[in-house]
Amino acid sequence: MNCIVCIKQVPSTNEVNLDPITKTIIRDGRQSVTNPYDTFALETAVQLKERCGGTVSVLSMGIPATERLLRDAVSRGADRGLLLTDRAFAGADTLATSYTLSLGVRRLGDFDLILCGKMAIDGDTAQIGPELAAHLGIPHVTDVLAITEVGGASVTVETAWQGGVRQVKVALPALLTVQKDVNQPRMPSIAGVKRGLEAPVEVLGAEAVQADAKRIGLTGSPTQVVRTEAPQRDSTAVYIEGDASQQAHKLAELIAGLTEGARA
Amino acid sequence: MSGLRIDKDLCIGCGNCANACLQEALTVDSYAEVDSAKCILCGMCVDMCPVSAISIEKEESGIDKSAYGGVWVCAEYLEGSLHPCALELTGKARELAAQLETEATAVVLGDESADACASQLSYAGADKVLLVTGERFAQPVEEVWAAALAELVRARKPEILLFGATEFGRSLAPRVAAMLETGLTADCTLLEIDPETKLLRQTRPAFGGNLMATIVCPDRRPQMATCRPGVLPMPELDETRQVTAEHVSPDVPAAQKTLLGMVRQAAAGKSITEAKVLVTAGRGVGDKKNVALVRRLAELLGGDYAVSRPLVDMGWAEYPHQVGQTGVTVAPDLLITCGVSGAIQHLAGITGAKTVIAVNTDPEAPIFARADYAVVGDCVQVLKALIQELENGTTK
Amino acid sequence: MKQTPSGFRPMGEEYAAYLRDESRTTGHAETISFPTTEQEIVEAVNACRESGSRLTVQGGRTGLAAAAVPFGGHILNLSRMDKVLGMGQTADGFTLTVQPGAVLSELRKKLAAKKFDVTGWSDASKDALGAFMKSGVWFFPPDPTEASATIGGMTACNASGARTHGYGPTRGYVTALRVVLPSGETLALRRGQVFAAGRHLTLTTEQGTTLELDLPTFTMPKTKNASGYYIEDNMDAIDLFIGSDGTLGVFSQMELRLLPMAPQVWGVTCFLPTVDDALTFTSLVRGMKLGEVSMEYFDGNALDILRRQKAEKTAFAALPTIPETAGAAIYVELHCQTEQEAAEKLFAVGDALEQAGGDREVTWVARTESDLDKLMFFRHAVPESVNMMIDERKKTAPSITKLGSDMAVPDDRLFDVMALYRRTLKEEALESATWGHIGENHVHVNVLPRSEADYARGKALFVRWAEAVTEMGGAVSAEHGVGKLKASFLTVMYGQAHIDEMAALKYTLDPQGLLGAGNLFAAREGGRS
Repeated sequence: MNCIVCIKQVPSTNEVNLDPITKTIIRDGRQSVTNPYDTFALETAVQLKERCGGTVSVLSMGIPATERLLRDAVSRGADRGLLLTDRAFAGADTLATSYTLSLGVRRLGDFDLILCGKMAIDGDTAQIGPELAAHLGIPHVTDVLAITEVGGASVTVETAWQGGVRQVKVALPALLTVQKDVNQPRMPSIAGVKRGLEAPVEVLGAEAVQADAKRIGLTGSPTQVVRTEAPQRDSTAVYIEGDASQQAHKLAELIAGLTEGARA
Repeated sequence: MSGLRIDKDLCIGCGNCANACLQEALTVDSYAEVDSAKCILCGMCVDMCPVSAISIEKEESGIDKSAYGGVWVCAEYLEGSLHPCALELTGKARELAAQLETEATAVVLGDESADACASQLSYAGADKVLLVTGERFAQPVEEVWAAALAELVRARKPEILLFGATEFGRSLAPRVAAMLETGLTADCTLLEIDPETKLLRQTRPAFGGNLMATIVCPDRRPQMATCRPGVLPMPELDETRQVTAEHVSPDVPAAQKTLLGMVRQAAAGKSITEAKVLVTAGRGVGDKKNVALVRRLAELLGGDYAVSRPLVDMGWAEYPHQVGQTGVTVAPDLLITCGVSGAIQHLAGITGAKTVIAVNTDPEAPIFARADYAVVGDCVQVLKALIQELENGTTK
Repeated sequence: MKQTPSGFRPMGEEYAAYLRDESRTTGHAETISFPTTEQEIVEAVNACRESGSRLTVQGGRTGLAAAAVPFGGHILNLSRMDKVLGMGQTADGFTLTVQPGAVLSELRKKLAAKKFDVTGWSDASKDALGAFMKSGVWFFPPDPTEASATIGGMTACNASGARTHGYGPTRGYVTALRVVLPSGETLALRRGQVFAAGRHLTLTTEQGTTLELDLPTFTMPKTKNASGYYIEDNMDAIDLFIGSDGTLGVFSQMELRLLPMAPQVWGVTCFLPTVDDALTFTSLVRGMKLGEVSMEYFDGNALDILRRQKAEKTAFAALPTIPETAGAAIYVELHCQTEQEAAEKLFAVGDALEQAGGDREVTWVARTESDLDKLMFFRHAVPESVNMMIDERKKTAPSITKLGSDMAVPDDRLFDVMALYRRTLKEEALESATWGHIGENHVHVNVLPRSEADYARGKALFVRWAEAVTEMGGAVSAEHGVGKLKASFLTVMYGQAHIDEMAALKYTLDPQGLLGAGNLFAAREGGRS
C-alpha cells in the first residue's frame, strides 16, 4: 500500500492574544508544530506500512521552515517528503490549497491512499480532505477511526457516525480523513531522528509542479477576509454579589425560581 | 500579481502592522516595508493599520456574476427524516432572498420518501423545492451527491448555496465547492447581505475564538457557506405558503463507496442536546477531579453536564459532552457555566440557551456578555457551596 | 493567647486540610491566619512572640518533610499573598518581584503567555514589561515536580527538580529577599551586598538593629544538598535564609531571576537491560560533557509498576509501551541553541547508549511540546503510582506511609551507593522501586512496605544509609529538606556539636524557638525558653 500523508504546519497554540490598545500580538516564541490531527493520519499510514508493506510519503504546502516537519514525519516512519513552497502559494484559501496539494500528489506518482487529518487546529474548516479528493477525482471518507481490511482494489474502514461507529468500504485510490486520538503517534527513536535528517525531501515551487497561476495563492482563492475584530463586549447581566457561600445561596433561590417558572 | 501593497504616502510609520505580523514580515523605519518571502497574505496588518495604508490586491477572475441568481439550501434528508437545520437554513435563505429580491430554493437528495419534505420546506420559506430523489440517491455517498448538486448548480446558477454543518454536510459541501471551483466558509455564526455590494457576508470565529472574521466571496459563484445546527433560529412554519416542487434527475457517476452499516451504535442514554438543564465545565474548574462537582450539580438539578473543548482535549471528559462549535450545539432552558471563559466557538454552541448563569473568576471573561446572571468568583468554591445548599435542602 | 489579634481565626473543621502537607503527616494548631501584607505578617509574628505561641509558616503545603506541619500554636498561611508585584530589567535579563504565596504553575503560565496583572506596578516595572514583551521566551528554571508549590516554600527549602542538574536549585535564582524576623523587625537582603567575614555575619535590620551571628563551623558536602543551613566562609547573607526551612524568619517578598529559554528543548528516554548498564551509561554521558540539563533514572521495579498500570488503569492507558527487555530507563534532556547542536548531542547520547548495552532504535525522542509532555507524564506516573499503592496498603496497615530516601553522594561514589541500596534491600527482603536524579547521584529509593514490620525495617535501613552516605561525603537530604521528619538524619550527618551550633544561630534570632519549631532540630520544650 503506497500512502501519501498530507500535513500542515500550525502554530503550537491556536490562541492568538491581541492587546486591544497596542494591537500587539503576544508572541510566545514557541515553534510551529505538525497539526495534531495529521499526526494521527501519519501513524495510521505507518502502521499500514508495517502491516502491508509499501511506502509512506508526506506532502505539505508551506513556508520553507516546514521542511523540518516533513523530516520529523520521516523520523516517525515515513520514507520521503515533498514540500511545496513558493511566494505564489501565499494567501491561499482551502480551494487554492487543495489544488496546490493535488499538484504535489501528481508529482509523487501512484498511490493507493491519501490520508489527511480531519481538520487543522488553526482553521477548523475540515475542507481540505474532501476538496483534494474532488480535484483528484477519487472518493473520500471522513472521520476515519481505523482501517480494518485491506484488499487489492478497496479498503474497509470504520468511521465515526452519529455517535457510533459505521463501516464503509471504499474503492482505491481513495482519500481518508482521520479523526484524532485513534492511535498513539509514535515518538521517533534516536535512529529515526538520524533518518529524518538524512531523508530525501524535495522542495518545489509553482513552476516546478506546473501550477496554473490563476488557481494558486491569493489569485486562486475565492474567499477573502474583509474584517477581523474582537467581538462586542457589553454586559447586561445581573451580577450576584457576595462571597462564595452568599452567592451560592442566592443562586439556589434563583434556580428554584427559574425551574418553578418553567413548570408553571 | 496579487500581493500586499503599502501606500507610502499614507503610511505614518506607527509600527502597528509590524506588531501584528505573526510572520515578522514587516519592518518599519520611516514607513513600513514588507518582505514578500515571509508574507503569507493573512491580512492582519490590513486591519491594524489606523490610516488604511495597507491593502491586499487581487486580480479579478472575470466570471459573469449577473448570470447568477437565487439562494439555495441543500436540505439534508438522511435515514428517513429531514434534519431540523434544513428548516433553519431555509428560513435564513428566505430572509437573504428577500434582501436580494430573488427566490429561495431548497434542494433535497434522498430516496423516494424524501419527496414528502417539500411541504415543510416550503412552509419554512422555500419558494421552490428541487427533489433529487430515487434509488440512486438512497445512500448518502458524497461523490454521487456532489456530482448531482454540481450539475444542478452549473445549469441553474444560484448565487448562494447553503449547507448545514452536520456530520454529512461537512463532508459533502467542500467536495461540491471544489467541483464548482468556488469559495466555501464553514461554521458561520452570522450570514448577512452587504447592502452596498450585495455580497453574502459570512462571519465565523477565528484565531482560537478571540476574534471574529468576516469573509466574502466576491468573484466566484455560488457563494457557499455552512452553518451549525442550532445557530440559526428555527423559522415559523407558514402553512399558507404555496408548495412548488420539481423532480430533477441529474447525471451522476457510480458510487465508489458502500456503506456497510453500524458496527457500534451510539452510547445509550440521552444526548446532552435533550437536557433542559445543563451545567458546563470550562478550564476554570482547574483540575480533572473538579469535573465531578459539575456532574453532581447537574444531578441535583435533574439535568446533564457538559464541557468546553479544552477539557476534552485534555482528557478530562469525553467528546459526547463537548459543547461548542466543534462539539454539540445545545439550547437548554437553564445553562450554568463554571469556569468557562466564553470563547466564541463555545458561545456558538449555546446561542439557544434561554437563561445563562455564568461563574468565572475573571470579571472580563467574554461569557459575561452572554450571561443573564453573572457570578464573579472561584467556580470550584461556588460549586461546592451551591451543592451543599441544594443537598441540605435549605432552599426549596 | 491573651488577646486574639484581628485576622487570627480559631482552627475549626473547615481548616483541617491546613494541618497536613505532602508528607502526609498531620499536626495540630490553635489558630490560623492568612495575611495579605508584610505588615500583617509583622503583626502576627509580634503577637505570637508576645504570647509565647509557636508559629508555623505555610505556602502551598507541597513539602515532603513536614516543615509546614504545625505542632501547636499558630499557622501563618501565606497563600493569599500570591501576586507578582513587578518586573525589572538588568544587564543580563529580567527579574520578577513576587509575594511568597505566588504559585509556581501560575507564574509559569504568566511567563509563557506574557500576561501579567499590572495593577499597582511602578512605571519602571511597566517599562521592563514592555521590553520583556519583545524579548523572546523567558522562564524560571527551578522545577520541583509539584508545581502547585509556592515561591516562598521553594525559597525556604531551596527546592530542586529534574532540571537542577543543569540549572542549579532555587538558591541561584533568588536575587533579593525581604524577611520578617522573629523579633518583628525586617531585613531587606540583596545578593552581592552583605557578606560574612569568615564565619561571622553582621546583619542590620531596616529598623536599625545590628545582629551579630556566629555561623556554624561545619563544611557542607560537595553534592546536591538541602540538609540544614547553607554555610560557607565569607558567604552572602541572603544564602543563610534561602533553604532555612522556615526557622529563621518569614519571607514576605522575593525577587527572582529569569533566564532566556533555549530554543531547542529535546528529551530522550533510553532503555538499558540492567541497572549496572544504566550506571555505565550515566558515567559515559557525564564524561561527554554535553551540558545535559537533567538525567532521570528508573529501575526495573519502577518500570514494572508502569507496565502494570498501563495494563490495568484507564488513566495510564496512554503510557507508551515499555520494551520488554528493559531493566532500567534513563531520561536525558538537552537545552540547545540550534537544531544542529541538539542533534549532535542526541547522537552522542546514542553512542553512549550503544556502548552501555542499549539500542538506538528503542528510544523515545521528544522534540515537540506535546511529546515532552508525554515523557513527563511517563516520569510522573511512577511516584503517582507508588502513592496509589501506599494508599491501598494503608488500608490493611494503617501506620505505613510513603518511605522514600533523598540522599546524594559525590560522582565517584555512584556505583558504591547504588550497590549498597541494592544489597541491603535484598538482605532486608523489602519491596522497593527506585527513581530519581541520577545525574547528581541522587535517587529516591522508595520502600513499598507490605506490613508495619516492613515499614519499621525500612526506616531503620534509612538510618544505616544516612550513616553510609555521610561517610561517602554525601548529603542525607539532597532536595526535600530536613523539616521535622529528617532531623535525626541531620544529626547523623553533622554530629550533635554542629547541630548545636545551628541551633544557637537560630536561637540568636528566635530566643523562644517559636518559628518553625521542630524543623531541623527538636523543638525546645513547650516552645518557651
